[in-house]
Amino acid sequence: MVKARETLIPKPVEPAPALVDPPAAASVVGLSKRFGKTSILENISFDVAQGEVLVLLGASGSGKTTILRIIAGLEMPYTGKVILHGKDVTELPARERGVGVIFQAYALFPKMTVEKNIGYGLRIRKRKRKEIKEKVNELLKLVQLEEHRKKYPSQLSGGQQQRVAIARTLAYNPEVLLFDEPFGALDTQTRVHLRREIRALLRKVNVPSIFITHDQEEALELGDRVAVLNQGHIEQLGTPLEIYSHPATEYVATFLGAANLLEATVQNGGLQVGSAHLTAMLDHTQFQDGDCVKIVFRPEDVVLSTSEFVRSGAAKISAGRIEEISFVGAYERLRLRLDRGEECRADETPYYLTTETPESQPTKSIIATRPKPDAAATKLQIGDRVVVAITSFTVLPASKR
Amino acid sequence: MSTAVSAMRHVRGFDVVRPLSIGMLVFMMLPLVFLPLASIFIFGTSNGLDKFWAALMAPEAIFALKLSMATSFWATVFNVIFGLFAAYVLSRYNFWGRNALIVTISLPTAIPTAVAGFALLLLWGPYGTLGRFLTPNFEIMFTAFAIILANIFVTFPLAFGVIKPVFDTMSRSLEEASATIGATRWQTFWHVTLPSLRGAIVSGALLTFARAVGEFGSTILVSGNLAGRTQTAPLYIFAKFNEGQIEAANAIAIVLALFSFLIFSVLFFARDWLDVD
Ligand SMILES: Nc1ncnc2c1ncn2[C@@H]1O[C@H](COP(=O)(O)OP(=O)(O)OP(=O)(O)O)[C@@H](O)[C@H]1O
Ligand SMILES: [Mg+2]
Repeated sequence: MVKARETLIPKPVEPAPALVDPPAAASVVGLSKRFGKTSILENISFDVAQGEVLVLLGASGSGKTTILRIIAGLEMPYTGKVILHGKDVTELPARERGVGVIFQAYALFPKMTVEKNIGYGLRIRKRKRKEIKEKVNELLKLVQLEEHRKKYPSQLSGGQQQRVAIARTLAYNPEVLLFDEPFGALDTQTRVHLRREIRALLRKVNVPSIFITHDQEEALELGDRVAVLNQGHIEQLGTPLEIYSHPATEYVATFLGAANLLEATVQNGGLQVGSAHLTAMLDHTQFQDGDCVKIVFRPEDVVLSTSEFVRSGAAKISAGRIEEISFVGAYERLRLRLDRGEECRADETPYYLTTETPESQPTKSIIATRPKPDAAATKLQIGDRVVVAITSFTVLPASKR
Repeated sequence: MSTAVSAMRHVRGFDVVRPLSIGMLVFMMLPLVFLPLASIFIFGTSNGLDKFWAALMAPEAIFALKLSMATSFWATVFNVIFGLFAAYVLSRYNFWGRNALIVTISLPTAIPTAVAGFALLLLWGPYGTLGRFLTPNFEIMFTAFAIILANIFVTFPLAFGVIKPVFDTMSRSLEEASATIGATRWQTFWHVTLPSLRGAIVSGALLTFARAVGEFGSTILVSGNLAGRTQTAPLYIFAKFNEGQIEAANAIAIVLALFSFLIFSVLFFARDWLDVD
């Protein structure tokens, strides 16, 4: 998992920095899609550079597969364009686009052997038998399935089938690679293993790739950049580090791993969280004194102390009581109930904020994790009172929608 | 009651119901299926095999068998191709009236065969709706064409009925994968779709053929039943029986019975065999 250890001063929320030069090898512009009257995608735009891996991360039903199918030419967009290597392919049928799709359920041809599956793209292109044979051998070696060449897909394990699907796609040198949750049906260990293999493979083939997943860990590890999708629109697009440590919205913050959210008030250019004051450099065009905002911090950004003294680099936000302790592998995970602090003052709350839904109210219970050595150094028990401090946080404008 | 049954069920660990019910099943099938079939063979060969052989080798008998095979063959070819096409269209495209079409395709099996023959006569006969424009230059009724038409009609939904469910359960993503790889529609159909349909096509064809070979009701109306010209095997059996030539009828009956037995055995085993990956 990507770890964000930043200074206490959070970066103001800003859009992802402009792409460093390489021209987009694949891009979609203003894509939208409807099925009947329901709108599935709204105004989706992104670029993928040559050799870059863009991960589309989103919950089930957020429209990931639909975006992929539009790029592949299996679905027509309602509005918008698909541009591959500078050419507008929006009207082109799938078979003329030269994209490689690795489908969610593999979609291997059941009546063809592994060899035949891999050679299919070349056979329909009427290549010479010798050339096909050589290419198939090369790919079988690449995906380490040489001894399974004569088998049928139904005789292979899920991971092996996945590799056949990848080899079958690479055989005809596609100009864009699209992966639709290729590891969805595999166990965690195989996933992690295959993920590394694919990463190495993609570096070799050097084509733009779009990779779909709903697994945040996979997204952060595989993606050069990640687009977080929510109900058909992109919430945030940026490098894994940006997305993880500077989520632009509450959705992104909570979707990428555990996040703690607290309400705060902008005051004297800093933030008032309960009775604690945090210094922060805030963008004055976005935040004014008296504004209600939310701060986000990860469980690993929380520092607990049994005395009033908090280690340098961390800022005290509250005191609290430990409610729950559990061990999650290498970490100790604690749930704390913070002492009730002062909430954002209602009389200064603009009208639109008072109509907030209950679930976006700040929780007073937070999660903290401590690595084993820390946990061993300062033993804590349920019911203990501690001082809670944080080492890093991000400010979100309190609920725009 | 229930105690009596359960008392009967097990006599010292021996399940009585099992042999009893199997015996009952065989006993019921005896007069209904086994004996009629057996009597064809018993009677047909009772005068010696040479008599049987002579009856079979009669020119009219051989002609009837050949005609049956040929007309059934062409009806099968047509209906399998049509069934494939119809199944493809009806499972791949959704359109207004789709269900109505499916029902219409399935209708011919529900219609009595005599009615089917009659309907064809009304359409293609010398005074029929369309037939009157053909006569006298071109005659359809009372020729082999008429027999093929009748066969096509009565076996119309059989191949379709076997192929369509396979289409329905076939994952669309296979065809989509093939398209993204760069295949044309035709290449996709030939290399990806068709191989998965092999079993269904073979059993659909056998079913159609077996049914067409045995067709009587519609054939007798549209063929004219002219010995040596438009008389199929079932018509031959009927004609010889009417003339009192039981041996002649019986010889062909044996061939038809063996033939359908063969087809159903192939049907039974070939499907699994063809669908093995
Ligand atoms: N052919 C279709 N007709 C109608 N609605 C559709 C169709 N295809 C997809 N949808 C709808 O579009 C939405 C997005 O679907 P999509 O398959 O893109 O989601 P996804 O993000 O890939 O989800 P998952 O992670 O479950 O695969 C869903 O609400 C789905 O019901
Ligand atoms: Mg999907």
